[in-house]
Amino acid sequence: MMNSLLDMLLHPLGIYVIALGAGFLIPLFDRAHRGSAVLLFIAALAALATIAGVNLLAIIKGAPPIFIETAGISPPFSINMRFGLFEGGVVFALNSVAFLAALHLLGSLRKHASALLLYLIMVMGINGMIMTRDLFNLFIFIEITSLATYALIGMERTGSVLAAGFKYIIATSIASAFFLLGTVFIYYQTGTLNIDDIIVHSDLIQGPIGLIASLFLLTSLLIELKPYPANGWGLDVYETAPSGIASLISVGVSSGVLFALYKLLPLMGDFLPSIALISGVTFLASNIIGLKQGNARRLLGYSSIGQMGLLTMALVMLQQLDAMDMAIIVVGGLFINHLLAKAGLFWLAGIVNREQINDWSALSQHPWLLFLFGSMIAALIGLPPFPGFWGKWELIMQLATADYYGWILLVLAGSLLEAAYLFRWFTRAWQGDITTGTAGLPALRIRFWQPATVGIAVFLLYVMGSGMATLMDVTVPAFLLPLAAGLAMLLVDGLPGRLKNIVMLLIVGFFGIGLTHNLTGINLLFSYLLVGGGLLISIGALYRKDNRRGFYPLLAVLLVSLAALLRARTSLEFFFSWELMTLSSYLLIAVGRNGLKPALSYLLFSLGAAYFIFAGFAVAFAATGSLLLADLGDAGEQAGLVFGLLAAGFVIKLGGFGLHIWLPGSYAEADDDFTAILSSVVSKAGIFGLVTIAAYLGVQADIGLDPAYVLGWIGILTATFGALMAVFQEDIKRLVAYSSMGQLGYIVTGVALMSHLGWISALYTTVNHFLFKGILFLAVAGIILRTNERLMYKMGGLIKNMPVTFTFTMIAIIAMSGVPPLSGYGGKWMLFNALMDKGWYWIAALAFFSSAVAFLYMFRLLQTVFLGQRKLEHAKLREAPAILLAPQVILIAAIMVISAYPKLLLDPLSATIDPWIASTLVWEGTSLVSHYGNWNAPMIMAIVGGVWMIPLIILLLVSLTLKIQKVEQFNIVFAAERPRRPEETHFAYNFFAHYDRAIGFLVRPRATAFWNATVEWTHTFGSSLRIFYTGNGQTYALFIIMYFIGMFLVNGGLEL
Amino acid sequence: MIPDIPISLIALCCGLALILIGLWGMLTQRNMIRIIIGFSLIDTGIHMVMVSIGYVTGGTAPIINDSVPLAEAVKRIVDPVPSALVLTAIVIGLGVTSVMLSFAVRIYKARKTLMIDELTESKL
Repeated sequence: MMNSLLDMLLHPLGIYVIALGAGFLIPLFDRAHRGSAVLLFIAALAALATIAGVNLLAIIKGAPPIFIETAGISPPFSINMRFGLFEGGVVFALNSVAFLAALHLLGSLRKHASALLLYLIMVMGINGMIMTRDLFNLFIFIEITSLATYALIGMERTGSVLAAGFKYIIATSIASAFFLLGTVFIYYQTGTLNIDDIIVHSDLIQGPIGLIASLFLLTSLLIELKPYPANGWGLDVYETAPSGIASLISVGVSSGVLFALYKLLPLMGDFLPSIALISGVTFLASNIIGLKQGNARRLLGYSSIGQMGLLTMALVMLQQLDAMDMAIIVVGGLFINHLLAKAGLFWLAGIVNREQINDWSALSQHPWLLFLFGSMIAALIGLPPFPGFWGKWELIMQLATADYYGWILLVLAGSLLEAAYLFRWFTRAWQGDITTGTAGLPALRIRFWQPATVGIAVFLLYVMGSGMATLMDVTVPAFLLPLAAGLAMLLVDGLPGRLKNIVMLLIVGFFGIGLTHNLTGINLLFSYLLVGGGLLISIGALYRKDNRRGFYPLLAVLLVSLAALLRARTSLEFFFSWELMTLSSYLLIAVGRNGLKPALSYLLFSLGAAYFIFAGFAVAFAATGSLLLADLGDAGEQAGLVFGLLAAGFVIKLGGFGLHIWLPGSYAEADDDFTAILSSVVSKAGIFGLVTIAAYLGVQADIGLDPAYVLGWIGILTATFGALMAVFQEDIKRLVAYSSMGQLGYIVTGVALMSHLGWISALYTTVNHFLFKGILFLAVAGIILRTNERLMYKMGGLIKNMPVTFTFTMIAIIAMSGVPPLSGYGGKWMLFNALMDKGWYWIAALAFFSSAVAFLYMFRLLQTVFLGQRKLEHAKLREAPAILLAPQVILIAAIMVISAYPKLLLDPLSATIDPWIASTLVWEGTSLVSHYGNWNAPMIMAIVGGVWMIPLIILLLVSLTLKIQKVEQFNIVFAAERPRRPEETHFAYNFFAHYDRAIGFLVRPRATAFWNATVEWTHTFGSSLRIFYTGNGQTYALFIIMYFIGMFLVNGGLEL
Repeated sequence: MIPDIPISLIALCCGLALILIGLWGMLTQRNMIRIIIGFSLIDTGIHMVMVSIGYVTGGTAPIINDSVPLAEAVKRIVDPVPSALVLTAIVIGLGVTSVMLSFAVRIYKARKTLMIDELTESKL
């Protein structure tokens, strides 16, 4: 008895019984006691979610779909409803979010008992829209939902909300009128209202009436989804309505309408291209306009509309490609993602209650809210591990298999634009006090329970996203390890900074070695650099005594995701780890002193790079039908395109010429110890990618010389301009940053050579770059720690205070410069040989030129910081802390060993490359021989050592016998120089002024100007797209009518 | 002599005309009350179209008994479904109209205007 009653209540029909029953009871309860009505309301909503959940679970376990029949007659003569996997999933998700939204809104909902009632009816209406299989019944549920929505909007009595609500009513009532007319005409032609029956008899829908009927239905649903430009009315409501209501319109009502469209899609076969176009345009246009948005909720509105556009497009594309079996990942992933993230963001907007996004700076005092905020934004962009990532991945793969490259471009461009404005918003929030915000706002007061619903939404995003990984055949544990490491570090984030560093080293070491211990070949080589090197350089971070909240969890994520990247066998695994690396390194740059702004440009360029890589993998998948990286080489005719796209992505990530503008700022403003990791370790991930694709594509698939030749030029231009720009820097970190960019250029050129010697030089330089850049940035960290300065003309003479740092810096600089005897010489020697072998003489000439230029900035670094006159205030500085010097000692030792016995390094490198290209290295004893000569490292080492040491000893001996007068610091006068600014009195200021006059025109920030112009142009375009938004409800109504007419004309109206 | 036009055609044409008139009203009248009247006209027009679709000229009420054999029912009786739908649609139309009117009242209270083009403060 009890059981059958329970069964009855848990039947999907119970949703309607409970909603309507509670609806009737709420006013009664309210008479007795408001609290009891609220309790009933919450209980009813919980019941709706529970019923959906229980039935969904049964269906997932294998139970058949549930059909609800009415009136004792079977369909098509009566209304019926279906509760299958899709219906159940959507209904369950929606009811759960509705429950959370109700908790979030409770404070304002409980003011009116009728609001509780309306809310319940609205949720029930959406449930009905999803489950019903009857066309007219669908209309009824749309209307029930709309009426409840209207009334809920109208609860707010301020003029702007009411005005927006009225426009909303006009627009949606016209749309409903369309739907009703369409329904009637369909009935006229088919004689049935049952959707399944109509689909069976869809051949009866024909002629002008059939066309108009279908278009009425379609336009109505599309209008409800707020297509650009007929969506001003929707945006106004998003902007003004209470955040909980707006969140339900955004995610609830829209999803119901989308599901209705999904049900009717079989009838819309002829119109699929128009629907795809409309939703694609909406996605792109919303995201361009979003760039211009200053109002937080309207911004969310644009993002909502854009996301719905993407969802609709994805749905239609899958239908068109006959790939509906992917819907659960693509549409399901994007849907869950949008549902939770957008609802959470609207709630957060309600809690923060700041209209302008500039005023969200108030959030900077609330790290946990920032965390929630950032997570939801990352989810919306489709970053891992959130459900949107998987959805977008599968969507792009499906589009690629159909050769829809234009659509891929559209999706990726739209996503990048969305990332731009959402992360700009996030940056404002994080940044704290900025002058442009509205002054005089009271501080944000948030009670601890208020963000609870947002927290649950974010938690579910993480859970669902990680869960979806299992659907995608990713070897889950391995690729989620970075997040596990981050989580573990987050749990101990309260510990002192240094202790956390040690804990992190242990965790990363454990996970990193676990992930990489059984690798081979190139991956093994890079695992030493990325994991081993990452750990080594991270030791340097021990010099910071402060707590550094958030730093170590992020660093753990970054380093473990680098390890996971090496382990990736499929492009999906690779891309997943790549994006995690991007996200964590972005956040790590952002925590630097003034890191937020450069971090934003770092993120946008990195995402751009990631999207190139994404597109490359998609094209490869379309060509080979396989996600395995090892199969990249089978891409056949597409190999050139794949290589080009992937190489473009990696080159952006390396700060390639013209795309480098993110690099100096990010390197300069990140924390000093993190810059060392960024330059010496993280940049190697880009090299790893480049080498990998060169191996799989460059050699195997034989893409021909052209893309490689272009890459070679890009590399050498990067090297040249990196060196030139380094010459003219005043800021020590920027100098080393540009130098890093230049050095990576040589590596790119080496890889592009596609020859054994070229690759050896690239890998050798990679190792060398890791060694000397690690030393340089750690040394710089020590200098900045002691002097508190970054401008080199404010330093000088530090050799007396920091002799060890000076020595290490000098050794690193010699190793970098490529003069004998240290390791850089070998790299240059092999690069020149390889270039000459290949006949790339111009590139060789430029390489020679840029190496010479490199001397200038290296000399400047050494001269202005360590030599010359010491500043008075620097007289008492101490040597850099031992813990910073310790990793440098190891790196120096490695440089020395490699310099003297390069064979130790070259043999394993050669062995790594041999499977791809036959070795051309010829050894004669300890010397490497080529057409142009030979390189005998031990001998060079001995000779140079002799040449240096003998005079040094002689001079030291001589100095003992001579009487030397030391010149005191101020024992000089200026002659013939007229200082105009105080800095000019220091010789180190504008050190290379004479060169600047000669070749400075080459390094004026043209790339920066170009990218700024691009940004400006996009913004202007965004504002011109807003021309349709007049704010007048009647104009909006006219757009809707014109929309229908347009659909009619495009889809055959002209031929009637 | 009045030409022999089926009453359903007259209803259909009147309905469509009403829809167009209502649409014209919604798009051209600035006063919200008139816009709502326009919506009402559209609604009524749709209802007439619906009824006209189910009508069978010279048909009888959809009651199957001795006077209408089951075999001839489809040709002789008026389709009851559109009439049933109209009933529901009328109720819904009434609901929407009343909500619109209540919005108009509240907007007037808040803003002291009924002109829709004075309500454009949120737009960009």
